[in-house]
Amino acid sequence: MDIQSYIASGKLELFLLGELNEREREEVLALARKYPEIQKELDALEETMFAFDQKTGPVPSSKVKDKIFASLESEFKAAETPKGRASETKVVSLSPWKSYAAAASIVAVLASAAAIFYATKYYEKDQQFTALLQEQSVMADNLNQVKFEYEQKDVIVEKLVAGDFKRVELKVGGLEIQKDAEVDVFWDKNAQEVFIAVNNLNELSDEYDYQLWAIGSNGPIGIGLVTSGQKLTFQQMNSVSDAGVFAITIEPKGGSQKPTLDKLVVIGDVT
Amino acid sequence: MGFIFKGVTTTKLLLQEEQIIAGLRAKDRKTTEYLYEKYSRALYAVISRIITDQDIAEEVFHDSFIKITRKIDSYEESKGRLYTWMANICRNSAIDKLRSKELSQSAKTNTIDDFVYELESQSGTMDHVDGIGVKELMNQLNDDQKFIIEYIYFKGYTHSEVSEEFDIPLGTVKSRVRAAIQVLKKNLDKI
Repeated sequence: MDIQSYIASGKLELFLLGELNEREREEVLALARKYPEIQKELDALEETMFAFDQKTGPVPSSKVKDKIFASLESEFKAAETPKGRASETKVVSLSPWKSYAAAASIVAVLASAAAIFYATKYYEKDQQFTALLQEQSVMADNLNQVKFEYEQKDVIVEKLVAGDFKRVELKVGGLEIQKDAEVDVFWDKNAQEVFIAVNNLNELSDEYDYQLWAIGSNGPIGIGLVTSGQKLTFQQMNSVSDAGVFAITIEPKGGSQKPTLDKLVVIGDVT
Repeated sequence: MGFIFKGVTTTKLLLQEEQIIAGLRAKDRKTTEYLYEKYSRALYAVISRIITDQDIAEEVFHDSFIKITRKIDSYEESKGRLYTWMANICRNSAIDKLRSKELSQSAKTNTIDDFVYELESQSGTMDHVDGIGVKELMNQLNDDQKFIIEYIYFKGYTHSEVSEEFDIPLGTVKSRVRAAIQVLKKNLDKI
């Protein structure tokens, strides 16, 4: 672009006289930033205008100076005390530069909205994170439980394989309380260990338990409560050394000292 | 406060524009006094060229100066130098006053000759401006330039008002403003 003819156009003078519109002002400022020659001319012209004003005008009377500083006194005082700073800020915010105030309030609204948005996001993520932590700890607990059960089963399997277990099939007795009930007992007489595998037993209400009995020469001995829910798994029962018959009865919750014979579910002879 | 003056021992202070702006924003008394000392005469000239009545000109100057100190937070350094910003506030206040109901009824608009006459009739101040000097400066301008300066500087016209009222193309008004200011620039040292 032709810098010299731009300078010669007189636009810079009008800029300094405050007679350009916003778009033209921006143009001058942009060109001054881009071309040092334009900036230099702008500075020189401002110097001239200042010198012209300075050299051709009378000095304002001292009474106008006194009046100005009297008018400003409260603002100086306010600024000299810490409390004044707040009111000073207030004055600024009330100054009639609406565009700045509007821009500032828009920025403030946007910033607040963004703050709320991100705070909400953060809160959500925080909650999700907490939930994940909890889930993970539940999973860890479950894993431990599974591990524990697995180890138990491992022990049981080892015992079953290594020991000398006799399988005793318990079948529905004459009372036919549960027609399809089916339970296997594994007994190692030498080791005195008893395991039970439930093939099928109905669920009981909360007031009752299944109880396993070993009936030997000394009569029936309760050797533990049977968990009906855990089908096809081995449960280890109390040890017994002398048994000719195993039987399961339904007993009040927690089991009984003596079997309730009219609630006999399954029974099987040791062969 | 006076934080700006800390450690400065010279009696003749020279503050950078940024320091002045910072001080004004902090409502610092000494900075405001510095501003007054440095710029009051030039700013008052902007007003008194347009408003002939001294009392009214001083009233406008008072209001403008207060406005400058209160609006300093909205001044943007990137949009122009401090003096230009202040001079525009004064110029606009003077034009507003000139066109207000209160003044337009009675007061006549200023001319260069009236202004020079006023300067010459003033006495008793140490900074008395040489009215003859100003007159000579103005005489360096040709008629077209003098006309432009009179309307823009002394009558408070905008360049587009001059263009419309006297049917002078805008480009011509602009180039005459430039030419006139160039003449002033060359001859300012002489007064």
